[in-house]
Formats: sequence, C-alpha cells, structure tokens
Amino acid sequence: MRPTTFATWGNLKNIVEQSSILAIVSAGVTVVMITGDMDLSVGSLASLVGILSALLLKSNMNILVSEIIGLIIGGLCGLLNGILVAYGGISSFIATLATMTSFGGVALLLSKGVTLFGLPDAFLWLGQGSIVGIPVPIIFMIIIVIFAWLILEQMTFGRRLYAIGGNHEAAFLSGINIKLHRLSSFIISGASAAFGGIILTSRLASAHPQAGNPLMLNSAAAVFLGMTAFREGEAHIGGTLLGVFIMGVLGNGLNILGVNSYVQSILTGGIIILAVLLSSFAKRKN
Amino acid sequence: MIINEAPALKLVEIKKEYPGVKALSGINIDFQTNEIHGLIGENGAGKSTLIKILAGIVKADYGEIFMNNKKVNIRSSKDSQKLGLSFIHQELNLIEYMNAAENIFLGHPYPKTRWGTISWKELNERAKEILKALDIDIPLNIPVGRLSTVNRSMVIIARAFAVSALIYFMDEPTTALAAHEKGMLFEVIRKLKSIGKTIVYISHDLDEVMLLSDRITVMRDGKVVTTLAKNEYEKPKLIQLMTGRNMNSLFPPRLESRKFEEIILSVRSLTGPKIKNVSFDLKKGEILGIAGIVGSGRTELLRSLFGVDKIISGEILFDGSLFMPHSPSESIKKGIALVPEERRSQGLILNRSVLENIAIVHLKALSRGPFIDIKNAKREAVKIGSLVRLKATDYRNAVATLSGGNQQKVVLAKYMLQKPQVFMLDEPTKGVDVGARYEIYSIIRELAKEGSGILLVASDFSELLGLSERILVMHEGKMIAVVNAKDMNEASLLKLCYGLEGS
Repeated sequence: MRPTTFATWGNLKNIVEQSSILAIVSAGVTVVMITGDMDLSVGSLASLVGILSALLLKSNMNILVSEIIGLIIGGLCGLLNGILVAYGGISSFIATLATMTSFGGVALLLSKGVTLFGLPDAFLWLGQGSIVGIPVPIIFMIIIVIFAWLILEQMTFGRRLYAIGGNHEAAFLSGINIKLHRLSSFIISGASAAFGGIILTSRLASAHPQAGNPLMLNSAAAVFLGMTAFREGEAHIGGTLLGVFIMGVLGNGLNILGVNSYVQSILTGGIIILAVLLSSFAKRKN
Repeated sequence: MIINEAPALKLVEIKKEYPGVKALSGINIDFQTNEIHGLIGENGAGKSTLIKILAGIVKADYGEIFMNNKKVNIRSSKDSQKLGLSFIHQELNLIEYMNAAENIFLGHPYPKTRWGTISWKELNERAKEILKALDIDIPLNIPVGRLSTVNRSMVIIARAFAVSALIYFMDEPTTALAAHEKGMLFEVIRKLKSIGKTIVYISHDLDEVMLLSDRITVMRDGKVVTTLAKNEYEKPKLIQLMTGRNMNSLFPPRLESRKFEEIILSVRSLTGPKIKNVSFDLKKGEILGIAGIVGSGRTELLRSLFGVDKIISGEILFDGSLFMPHSPSESIKKGIALVPEERRSQGLILNRSVLENIAIVHLKALSRGPFIDIKNAKREAVKIGSLVRLKATDYRNAVATLSGGNQQKVVLAKYMLQKPQVFMLDEPTKGVDVGARYEIYSIIRELAKEGSGILLVASDFSELLGLSERILVMHEGKMIAVVNAKDMNEASLLKLCYGLEGS
C-alpha cells in the first residue's frame, strides 16, 4: 500500500523472482519470433506440463525423472507445432492457436478440472528454495537467458534464424534449411514453456489446469516490448529480458499502489501501447 | 524543339545536405513542355534526392522551383500531386487478387456511388479508357495473378497513367519489362510527349535514354555536369561524364587464346516445370551466356541447376558424377552457387550487417563447433570484400545503407567466400551503375580465369556478347541454339531470342 516499499532491495529481488518464470518462457518465444513465427501455445503448454508433473509426482515418481519427462513432453508438443508450421505449411498463428486450445483441453482432462495439491516438499525447492540467498527461479532464469544469448548471438544456428526472419527467400537461396530451423525453434519454445510450467507449479505448490495461461499474452507482450528497444523491430533476448522486467515492475508497482486487479489489466495494456508508440515516434524523428 | 518558351519546370540552385553528405549542391535544370528529358548519373549522383524533393518527400535546404515561370512551393506529396507532377517508380508490385482496373487506381481515390460506396462500374470504365488510350487489351474481370507475364507488365505501365499529370518522372520503368514491352512503353511515352507533356526519364540503360530523350542531363556527385542535345549523344562520352573517369571500354579485356578442356558441368535433356529438354556442357574457365526474352526459361534453368525448381527428367553430371540437387544447400556444398536475380528480395537480408550477409552462406566454415569464430569471420569477409572491390565503411552497418552496386557485390561475395566451381549469375548488373558494372565484369572474368565455370543470364545483350565465350539461346523453355559470341551481334542475337532464326 505504501509507495516507499517499492524502491527497496527486497522488493527488487521480489520483482526479479516473480518475473523469472515469464523470462524463461519468453526466451523460448523470442527464438520463435526471430524467424517471424508466433507461438500462442506456450501458456496452455505450461499449464499442461504443470499438471502432468504434479500427477507424476503424486504417483511417487522420482522428482528428477518426472521433470525430465515434463520437459520432453514440452519439447514434443513444440515438435508438433513445428511440424504443423514448417512442414504442414499452416500459418504459425493458426497452428499454435489450435494447439493452444487442445493442450488446454488435455490439461483440464488430466486434472479433471481441479487444482492438484500435495506435492512433495523436495519438489517445492525448484520454485521456492534458494542457493546462497539467491532464489532458485532467478538462477534458472539466468542460466536460460545466457543459454539463449549463446544460441542466438554466438552460434550458427541463431544467426540462421535471424537470416530466416530477415529474408526468407534470401536465406533459402543461401542454402539454409528453413523447415528444419523453424521446427527447431518451436521445440525450443515448447521445452522452455514446459520448464516455466514446472517452476510455476513448484512456486504455487499446486497445479491448476489454467495456471500458466496468462504466460501466453505476457510473453508475447514482453517480446514485442523488447523489439522496440536497442535494435529496430527485431526480437532479441536482451530486449525480451527488458520487456519482462517492464511487465514485472508494472505489475508489482500497481500492486503496491493497491490498484484493483481489473484496473491493473487495463493499465498494463495501455502502458504497453504507450511504450511501443513512444519508441516508434522516436524512430520516426531520426 | 523550342527552348525559348517558358520551361514547364525550372529548378534553380537546389541544395540539400544530409549530416556529413552534400547530396545536392546547387542543381539547375530546365524541363521543357513537349520534351522527353533523360536524367542519368551513377548511384549516389543525387538523382533520387532530387526526385524526392520534387515529390515532396524530402525538403530542399535551398533553392527555388518554377513552373511556367511561376514560383511554386512543394511541401508535401499532396502539393506535388496538385502541381501535376506524377512519379512512376521502379519495381512496383501488383496486388495479385485484385483485377487490373483496381490495380491501376491503387492509391488514387476510387470513384464513388451516391451512397458513398465504390462505383465499380465507373472504375472499370475509367480503366478501359486508359487502356484504350494506350492501345492495350487486357481482360478486366479476372485477378491480375491469373494474367500472363506480358499483360501484368501492361498493367504496371497503365498504372502510371491513372492520373493525368503535366510532368511524368519515370525511374527505371523498364527493369521488369521484356524487349517488346519496352517498345510499347516507349510508344506510350512518345504519345504523352506529343500531347504536350514533359517526361523525365531516369535510367541506367544508356541506349534506352539516348534512343528516347530529346535532351540528356548528366549528374555526378550532387551536381549537374552538363545537359546535352540529341546531336551530342555519344555513349563513351556519356559514360565519361557520369563517372568522371576515362573509360575506353565497357568490358574488361578478354584473355586471348584460351582453351577449355575439362567439363565441369554436363546437363543432359534437363526438363523442369518451365524448361524442356535442355542439354549443354560447361567447361572449367568458360563463361557461357544464356540469352532469351523474359519467360524463356533462363532463370528457371538456373533455378533447376541450383536445386530450387524441381527436375522432372534428365540428368546433371557435376565433375563427372551424377548430381541431382534437391535444395540450394546441397548445391552450395558441392560448389555450385547462384546469384539470384532480385538482389533485394532474394539476395540480401537488408536489415542485417554487411558481415552477416557475407558470412551467412558459409557460416559452418567460419565456425568452431557450434560457435561462430567472429574474428575469423571478419577476416574472411574483409578478404573477399576487397576481392570484389566492395566499398563499405564499416562491415557492421546494415547492408541496406550501401549503394545498389555495392549491395550486388555483397551478394557476389557471400557466394564466393568459398570459391564456387560453377558460378551462376542471374542479371548480375541489374540496377547497377556503369562504374560498378565494370568491376562486376572484372570479378566474373577473374573467377573464370581461376577455373570456375560461369553461367551468365543477362537481358543486356552487350553484356552477354562482351563477356561470354558461347551463348545458349532459350525460347519458351527450350534451348534453341548455342552460338559463339564472336559470331553474333545484338541484332542477330535478338532475332534468335524471338525464335525467328533456327540454327
């Protein structure tokens, strides 16, 4: 309620911790958006993998094994998206809109529509624990972001993704296997959505079949916000991270101010539009 | 032509400076009524800036503009339109699913019914009038996507005349047109002149400009070098005025008495979606030209050899063994490269750096494991860049900031990073100015000298005749002749291309 709590070290850590899941999911979405595609299924995929790992854990499966299964399922769902888009020739918007709906349905079916509780304590460390005072989700976020940066900026794979996004035809005539690269980007996005879903489940100590759904819009917003920063009109990981934190600071600030959560949504939408408008005005001036 | 009449458009001391660059330093030109006025100059000479000022896109820093001795102000594109200036740009694209009438009026106000909806009837009527005036017969009731190539070009031409203007500026209007379509366009231009219009004709094709223009103004480095009357035209002189250099020849010297023995590429009865039964041998070090009118299958032949268009039957022997490419990546691995026709849409990733554009084809070779070896990439890119005489201040800048000629050199460089054994070039000098052309010709010659086999597609016959040893002529997808370049001239080659003479 008091604005004095906003600019404190503790609150900053709080914001970063709350943003870490969005950052992990958005990193994957960035990879897809670099090639000019879109992944709308990340939110419901995160929900689905959350439910799935909760079910596996409740059946007393080993934590590591069940999380690896969760990540593999995420990757396979991404593979499905990739096949539909790259080899089936369906526009990514439509393909992932459809799979978003289906993944969401599977999550509801598996959970019978209810929230799953009673997860093992050791699992909760992933979302709630800390190493030398740093919350575990933040550590995961840092690892994922560095990994994404390496892939996108330092590896041939990433440069080819940028080439595809920059000019499809020129990339093809330059000998780049476009289908395979687009497919791979969706696998990455699927796996990172799954990872986000797992940490979210651990953080909430429960799995709700729609818990991850807001991640879809928020990750798209973060990537779009990032596209307006540093480099013009192009998705990149640094910008995405900035976008994630803008979203995080916004949500946190409005919370502290005690703004009604419905009004928060209205303001968040407005502020995203304002940020993008401002940057496009600034560009036009140049 | 009467010069003492008040000029239709008079430019006095037009100046424009961009940060660090003097784009125009005091331009004075008179454009008369009833005149076709050629405007030539190398890329960067200031032609585009001048046009942009007249179109109201860019504001001049200094200078005055008069129309019929009356001073005018051009502050916006609306002002320019009101004054009767019309601009016909190069490479205008059509909207495939709209019909010809709608494409012609695209961007102009459509006629309305009294209910405020579009009056399709009147739109079609007006389109018919324009087409009739131009002697063009195109069906109006089908989408342009289903029109033939020729008819589509006619729509592009007709679009130029959707508005009635006093002065028409045409910037490279013929790049997308075949020879006889150019003829039709020229007819239209002459007709416009005869009814009292002024046409400003901008082109890199000096033959065209000389043929068409009553006077030619030459620009260089933001200045007007001179304006020549028709009896003063001489191609070498124009080139010298444009480049400021003395150029004895348009083409680098041939290497005499060369013998070609080893066959690098052998094509046997190759048939694809748009080519039929093409057979030829390409030897190491040889430049084989491919001639034909637009739609003859020249580009498609290269695309089949590169693994883009599929091969229906026939075979390709590369260095003695069977090679049937399924994708560009397979071909590139083998050492076959294709410089595509459209440099901006097919050759370059415009918003990315020069370095990345050069490196993208052979990224694997520039990497250590999955990581790019940036230092090595830079070194190799600069090396190949200097080989193709690329002028770029900083390889980190976006390739879009380069001139057309330098952009084309980037496309050459990216496929030359690992020397190709077969180098295919589709219109390598399209939209490239004279100076850069000579350099590109030299690069092609050098590659051939080092033993690469070259396949060269060009619409400019002087280019084919000046560079190639032999020329393969295509017509409607079929190979109709292979001739020695020495035995041909432009006229005889043109005849062959139209299928008028067998051999």
